[in-house]
Amino acid sequence: MNKIFAVIKREYLQMVRTKGFILGTILGPVIIGLFIFVPVLVSVMSVGDQERIGVIDASQEVFQELENRMDFKLKDGRQRYVLESYKLTAGMDQLKESLNQKVLQGDISGYIYIPEDVIKGGTVEYTAEHVSDFEEISSISKVLNNVIVEKRLKQAGLNPEEISGYMEKVEFKTQKVTKKGVEEDTGGTFIISYILVLILYMTLIFYGQIILRGVIEEKSSRVVEIVLSSLKPSQLMAGKILGIAAVGLTQYLIWAVFGIGLSSYGRSLVTGFLPEASGFKIPSIPTYVFVYFVVFFILGYFLFATLYAAIGSTVNSEKEAQQLVMPVTMMLVFPILLMMFVMRSPDSTLSVVLSIIPFFSPILMLLRICILLPSFIQIFSSIALLILTTMGMVWFAGKIYRVGLLMYGKRPSLPEIIKWVRYK
Amino acid sequence: MKAIDVQNITKKYGSFFAVKNLSFDVPEASVYGLLGPNGAGKTTTIRMIMNVIIPDKGSIRVLGEKMSEKMKSRIGYLPEERGLYPKMKVGELLVFLADLKDFRGLEAKNVIDSWLKRFDLFSWKDKKVEELSRGMQQKVQFIATVLHKPELIILDEPFSGLDPVNTKLLKDIMLEMKEQGVTIIFSTHRMEQVEMICDNICLINKAQSVLKGNLDEIKKAYGKNMVILEYDGNIRKIKEYADVEKIDDYGKYMEIKLKDGEDPQNLLASLAGKVRIDRFEIKEPTLNAIFIDKVGEKNE
Repeated sequence: MNKIFAVIKREYLQMVRTKGFILGTILGPVIIGLFIFVPVLVSVMSVGDQERIGVIDASQEVFQELENRMDFKLKDGRQRYVLESYKLTAGMDQLKESLNQKVLQGDISGYIYIPEDVIKGGTVEYTAEHVSDFEEISSISKVLNNVIVEKRLKQAGLNPEEISGYMEKVEFKTQKVTKKGVEEDTGGTFIISYILVLILYMTLIFYGQIILRGVIEEKSSRVVEIVLSSLKPSQLMAGKILGIAAVGLTQYLIWAVFGIGLSSYGRSLVTGFLPEASGFKIPSIPTYVFVYFVVFFILGYFLFATLYAAIGSTVNSEKEAQQLVMPVTMMLVFPILLMMFVMRSPDSTLSVVLSIIPFFSPILMLLRICILLPSFIQIFSSIALLILTTMGMVWFAGKIYRVGLLMYGKRPSLPEIIKWVRYK
Repeated sequence: MKAIDVQNITKKYGSFFAVKNLSFDVPEASVYGLLGPNGAGKTTTIRMIMNVIIPDKGSIRVLGEKMSEKMKSRIGYLPEERGLYPKMKVGELLVFLADLKDFRGLEAKNVIDSWLKRFDLFSWKDKKVEELSRGMQQKVQFIATVLHKPELIILDEPFSGLDPVNTKLLKDIMLEMKEQGVTIIFSTHRMEQVEMICDNICLINKAQSVLKGNLDEIKKAYGKNMVILEYDGNIRKIKEYADVEKIDDYGKYMEIKLKDGEDPQNLLASLAGKVRIDRFEIKEPTLNAIFIDKVGEKNE
């Protein structure tokens, strides 16, 4: 046990002192923080510009109403849109041509052409230099719609206010049911599940690669036989995997401290500087999600770390390893590809089955736990299967590791590797 | 007591015998040489003694016991395939390797320092291994092998890559340790090293032992009909002058094995006047000659 501890200590101290670890640990939360705060800051800080929009009202009954209703304000209180009416003096084509020139010169950002028969169903044209500002176009078209529909209703002798009362949109609220009762869902679940699952996926791959590289380094630097003159291969493997696990947990701990700090002080910090940002909510994560997250990280890590260690022991260089690593990495990528499906129907039979299959369960079961807490039996069986598979893998990988470590030269074929497992 | 007792061990890889029916024993507090050409099975034998590879047949006893995990801290092992963690500092690495041998604390630190000083590496203690030259790394590896004061030291090709100064230092340390009662077994294919320090040898060729026992006795058994000749001139006709069994000609230096009953004096008389003779010595065969004789091929 002392010897395993010595290996754990070495792996841990060597790893946490690397620049990669220090940078990754600090930059991780900084990048996530930037992803959250930059969009908030940008939308809070940006004031926007006034836009002048030309209107050719051939029907001669829409402009006034439209101007009254286009009452959007910028952050500094000015009108967002300034409408300018253009009267049809000469030919229509000439007018359009001169407005086109104005658009290109930047005098106006665009113009609206309202045909004479607009009330009867004519098509309104909006011409601008670029028509990709979805928000702008939809607000113009919405207002124009209201104006024209009301005119139609009036012509038909109906009362627009009464009708709009009937046409009132149905309120549609989403909420999710949990053991603790019913709570409103603001979309935070989606983001949180997404971030947590991605963190799990990235750390599993990252630390798996660390193990792989560590084993290859021990082999290619030829230190392994010196080390094995003091302990068993299984002790070396155990020490290595546990040491790197400790590094991963340290990183999580640092991130969790950051996260807790962020959710308790971050908001007041931001709103202190920018009172307008108080509308943004930082979603909270239930404690059990954290617990399961750590559980699935540890179990998934052990399963994949042993696989990566076994692969590392059979090769001589990282280049050689890449091919063999592919199928293992695919087993982590596959559940990520299924993420959207599972999010959409987390309780379908396929989702349940996939989230119990050992190699997929760390990611998919965690995802389902984030979205809806599955029944205890499902969680229990996925964890139990994961533990059993990991134990089997430790045995299998240990055999390969023991023989592979001392084999140099040609990379062994699969039948050869299977033969190693049967060596006593 | 025997420090190592190897009985009839065999290791097969497929149909290839890496080691076949090999037996030998190493007396305590002696230096034992495991000789043989490249690929003879020396490293496989040593790995089986260290329990790194498990023999198909036969038994091995080390320090009177069957090899086990807890024996490992009583043994120092320098493998043939050896290296160090390139990113670790020399001092840290030695503390780690001592730790693996259950040798810790202040005493371990002091021992490491004194070894580093002896090998002239103390100023490199806080440098990373990758900054060291190959020869320096070899010395660090040797320190790692002996720092926990093992009773038995197993060295696989310990001299390879060392310059003459460090070869001598290593040889002196090995003899010093033997005086202190440590048993040393090492493998090599360099005969002059064996002649200098070994008490007993085992010569392995093609997976099998071809010669073993006490070095002096082996040499005596080979008879005293070996001539060492240092010369200048042309002596291609030497076979006409004497009944020669075997010649090893190096151009200016020659090892001649005469047939039984042939008097070396006749050879000297025949050579006199024909070539310039700088040295004419009658002696026991060199281990080199025995090696070549037994193995039947030139070693490097």
